[in-house]
Amino acid sequence: MSFYAIQLDALLAVWGVIILLVDAFRPFRNKKTLGYLVAIFVLVAFAYSFLVQPVSDTFFHGMYRLDTFALYFKRLFLGALTIVLVMSAEFSDRIEAGVAEFYALLLFCATGMLILASVNDFILLFVALELVTITFYILASYLRRQVQSLEAGTKYLILGALSSGFTVYGIAYIFGTTGTTNFDTLGALLSNYVTQPKAFTFGVLLVLTGLGFKIAMVPFQIWAPDVYQGAPTPVTAFLAVGSKAAGFALVLRVLFTGLLPAHAVWGPLLVVLAAATLLYGNLGAIPQRNIKRLLGYSSIGHAGYMLMGIAAMNALGVGAVLFYLGQYALTNLCAFLAIVAVTNATGSDEIPSLAGLGRRSPIVGLALFLAMMSLAGVPPLSGFFGKFQLFAAVIERARYDWHYYVLAGIGAAAVVISLYFYLGVGRAIYLQESDDASPIPVSLPMRCALYLCMAGMIGLGIYQRPLVEAAIQAAKTFALR
Amino acid sequence: MDNLLTIAVLFPLAAAFFAFLFPAKKPGAIRALAILATGVSLLLTLYIFSQFDRTQSGYQFVFGIEWLPSWGCSLKFGVDGISMTLLLLVGVVSFCGTLVSHEIHDREKEYYILFLALTTGISGTFATMDLFFFYFFYEMAVIPMYLLIGMWGSLPAGKHGRTKEYATMKLTLYLTAGAVLALIGLLAIYFVGGTMDIEKLQHNVWIAANTQKWAFACLLFGFGFLASMWPFHTWSPLGYAAAPTAASMMHAGVLKKLGAYGIIRLALPLLPEGARHWANVIAILACFNILYAGWAALTQRDWKFVIGYSSVSHMGYVLLGIATLNVIGVSGAVLLMFAHGVMAALTFSLIGFFYHQTHNRFVPDLSGLARKIPFIGVCMVMAVMASSGLPGFANFVSEVMVFIGAWSQGSLLFRIATICAVWGIVVTATYLLWAVRTSFFGPFDEKWNMLKDATTLKQKFPYVLLLAVLLTVGFYPRVLTDIIRSSVASQIVEKQNMRGQETVAQRSGE
Repeated sequence: MSFYAIQLDALLAVWGVIILLVDAFRPFRNKKTLGYLVAIFVLVAFAYSFLVQPVSDTFFHGMYRLDTFALYFKRLFLGALTIVLVMSAEFSDRIEAGVAEFYALLLFCATGMLILASVNDFILLFVALELVTITFYILASYLRRQVQSLEAGTKYLILGALSSGFTVYGIAYIFGTTGTTNFDTLGALLSNYVTQPKAFTFGVLLVLTGLGFKIAMVPFQIWAPDVYQGAPTPVTAFLAVGSKAAGFALVLRVLFTGLLPAHAVWGPLLVVLAAATLLYGNLGAIPQRNIKRLLGYSSIGHAGYMLMGIAAMNALGVGAVLFYLGQYALTNLCAFLAIVAVTNATGSDEIPSLAGLGRRSPIVGLALFLAMMSLAGVPPLSGFFGKFQLFAAVIERARYDWHYYVLAGIGAAAVVISLYFYLGVGRAIYLQESDDASPIPVSLPMRCALYLCMAGMIGLGIYQRPLVEAAIQAAKTFALR
Repeated sequence: MDNLLTIAVLFPLAAAFFAFLFPAKKPGAIRALAILATGVSLLLTLYIFSQFDRTQSGYQFVFGIEWLPSWGCSLKFGVDGISMTLLLLVGVVSFCGTLVSHEIHDREKEYYILFLALTTGISGTFATMDLFFFYFFYEMAVIPMYLLIGMWGSLPAGKHGRTKEYATMKLTLYLTAGAVLALIGLLAIYFVGGTMDIEKLQHNVWIAANTQKWAFACLLFGFGFLASMWPFHTWSPLGYAAAPTAASMMHAGVLKKLGAYGIIRLALPLLPEGARHWANVIAILACFNILYAGWAALTQRDWKFVIGYSSVSHMGYVLLGIATLNVIGVSGAVLLMFAHGVMAALTFSLIGFFYHQTHNRFVPDLSGLARKIPFIGVCMVMAVMASSGLPGFANFVSEVMVFIGAWSQGSLLFRIATICAVWGIVVTATYLLWAVRTSFFGPFDEKWNMLKDATTLKQKFPYVLLLAVLLTVGFYPRVLTDIIRSSVASQIVEKQNMRGQETVAQRSGE
C-alpha cells in the first residue's frame, strides 16, 4: 500500500536513473530524440496519474499523504514536466555536454516536487525541498560558458542555501516548542493553546522565510529576475511553473494544516507581504528589456496575486490559488516555448528582437501574445478567470475585515500596471516592424505543444468548469469555510 | 426559437474562429465571411425586434445554459427594451463597419478576426443576463480595440505630440482601470446576493444602504471611465483620432455606450439607494462633460478630434439623463445612446471616406470638398444636423426627453444643469457648422481634384443605411421609446419609488 502512494514519484526517479546508466554505457547519439522520448514517457505517466485514486490514510508513519490536494499537484507537475521536456529537446542544441544528465536532473527535480505535494511532516518537507533546490542549482548554471548562467546558478545557490538554513532553524524552533514535526499532530496541539509561545512564533516566521524564497515573495524575491534571465530557458520555465507551484503547495499545506490555529500570527503578515509583492513585481517589470527578466518580475507579481488568495484564508481563496497555479503553468509554458523558438532563430531574448514576430511567425507571435494577455488577465483567456476568483476571495473576506478592500485595491492597481508591460511585449510582436523578415522555423513537436497550450488557455478561459471543480475538490482537503 | 438571440450574439465569434482557419492569402473570402456574419447577426436582431412583445417590460428571448454551478453562474442571454435598442445599434454599426473596411489592405485576416471578436464582446455585454458574463464580455472588448488601433490606425502629427501607440496604450489602460474598479463593486454585489443572475439580483436582493453607497461609487466611476465621464475622458478623443475608420465607428458608436449601459443595467436597479446618493454628483459631472468637452471641441482643428470631443460632450447628455432617475430622463438617455451611436458611426465613416483619399483631415487644409464629393458632403451636413439636435433626427427626440426629464426632476441643481445642457447644443452647433462649412464649402482647392465620390450603390449603402435609421427613429420615435420606457419604468424607476417607500416604512417602524 505504501508503494501505491509513492508510485508516481518512484516512477520518475527510476526513469532518471535508467537514463543516467544507459547513457554512461551506450551514450545516446541523438539528444533531441531522447528528449522527445522522455517527454512521451512523462506524458504517459501524466495520463496514468488520473487512474491513481486518493487515499485517506497517511503513509510512512504519518509523513506522507495521497489526498486530492497532493494528486492535483502531482498531475500539475507531470503535465508541466512534459512540456518542459519538449522545450528542453528544442533547446538541447545549445547545451554543450551532458544533455542526458540534463533530462535526468529534470526528472529528479520533478520527483522532489511530487514528494513535496504529499509532505505531511517537516522532516520530509526539508528533504524533498533540498532535492528540488539542489538540482536547480546545477540546472541553472548548465550553460557553463555563459557568465550569466553561472551567475544565475551561484546566486540561486547562495540565497537558496541561506533560506534552507532559515527553514531548518525554524523547524528546530517549532519542534523544540511543540515536540512534534508532524502537521496533523501539530495542528491538534496548537488548537489547545490559547496563545503560542514566542519561540514558536519565531519558528513559524523562519519557516515562512524559507518558503517565501521558493515562491519569490517580498522580501525574499531578489534572486528571481537574475536567475530567470541567466538560467537556460527550459530551466527558467520549470522554475517559474514547477518550483513556484511546489512552493505554493507547501505554503498551503503548512499554513492550512499544521499552522492553521496560529493564523493570527501569519494572517496579517501575509496581507502586507502580498501587497508588497504585488507592487514590487509589477512595478519592477516596467523598465525591463529582456523578456526572461520581465517574466522574472512578472513571476514575483503573480506570487503576489496568489498570496492574496492565501491571505483571504477562506475555501474560495485556496480553490482560487489552485486554479491559478494550474492555468499559470499553461500560460507560462506557452510563453517560454515561444521564447525558445525565437531565441533559436534570432539568438537573442531581448524584447526589441521580438519586433515583427507577428509577421515572421504568426503562430509563435500569437502564442506569445496570448500568453502575455493571459498573464495580464484578459478574457477570454484562463488568466482572467484565475484573477477573477482571487479577487472574489479577497472581497468575500473583506466583508468581515475592511483591510482586505485595501488589498483588493492594490491588486486592482497591479492589474492595470501589469497590462502596461505585457502590452509592451504585444506591441513589439504586432505593432513594430523589423528589418529582418525571415520566417522563424517551428518544429512539429513545438507546434503541437504551442497549440496545446493555446487551446488550454482559451479553453479554460471560456469553459472553466473542469479545472474549477478539480481545484474545489482539492481545496476541500483543508478545513476552511 | 428561444436561442435566436444567443445565435445572433455568438455568430460573429464563430465566424472569427472560421476566419482563423482560412488561409491568410484569401482576404476576399475572409472579408465576405465577416460581412456575412455581421449581416446575419443584424438580420437576426431585426427579426427578434419584430417579434419582440411590446406589451411586456421584462426579459424576452431568454436562453441559458448552466456554466459554473459552484459560482451560480450561467451563460444566459435575454433582452428587454433597453438592451433590445442597443443590440440593434450594435447590429447596424458593426455591419456598416465591415462594409466600409475595404480600405484595409494589410493583414486583413487578423483585422476581421479582431473586428468580429470586438462585435461579440459588445453585443454579449448588452445581451447577457449574468453578472460574470457581463464582466467577461465587457473586458473582452478592450484588447481587440488595442490591436485594431495599434496595427491599422493612424495619428497625424499635431499639437498633441502623441503617437498611435501612445493613444492605444492610454485607451487600454484607462478602460482596464475602470473595469477593475467596477469589478470590486460587482463582486461586493455578488456576495450580498449570492447569485450571478442579474434578474434574480434585481428582484430578490436588497443591499444595505451603506454598501450601496460605496458600491455605487465603484460602478459609477468604473463604468464612467468607458462612458468617458469627465475627468476620465482624456483617452477618448485621442483613441478615436488614432483608430482606423471601422474601429472609430465601433468605438464611438457602441463601445462607449457599454459604460453608460453598465450604469443603467446594474448600478441603477441594484443600488437604488446609492443612485439617489450620487445623482447630484453625476449631474454636475455631466455638465462638465457637456461644456468642457464642447469648449475643447471648439479649439480642435483635426476632424476626428472635433468629433471625438463632440462625442465626449454628448455622453454628458446621457449621464444627465441617467442622473434624473425618472422615466423620461433615463429613457431619453437610452434613446440618445442609440441615436448618438448611429450618428457617430456615420460621421466617422464619412471622415474615413475622404481621409482615405486625402490623407489629410485637418479642417483648415480642406476646402470646397462638396464640389468633388457631393454625396459625402450631403451626408456630412445631415450628420452634423443630427448631431446638433435638429428636429427630424433621432437625436432631437432623445435630447428633448433628457431636458424634460432633468427639468421635471425639480431641484435647483438640475434646473441649472438643464440650462447648461441646452447651452451645450449651441456650442455643438458652432464647432460642427464651422468644420463643415470650412472643409466642404468655400473656395475649391485644386489639390483636391483627385477626389472620387461614392457613386455606386455598394459604396453608398452603409451611409444611406445609417442615415435612414436616424431619420426613421427621428420621425417615428415610438418604435423604440415604447419598449424603452416600459423597461425603464418597471426596472429602474419603480424600484426607486418602492425602495423609497420601504425605507420610509422601515424608519417609521423604528
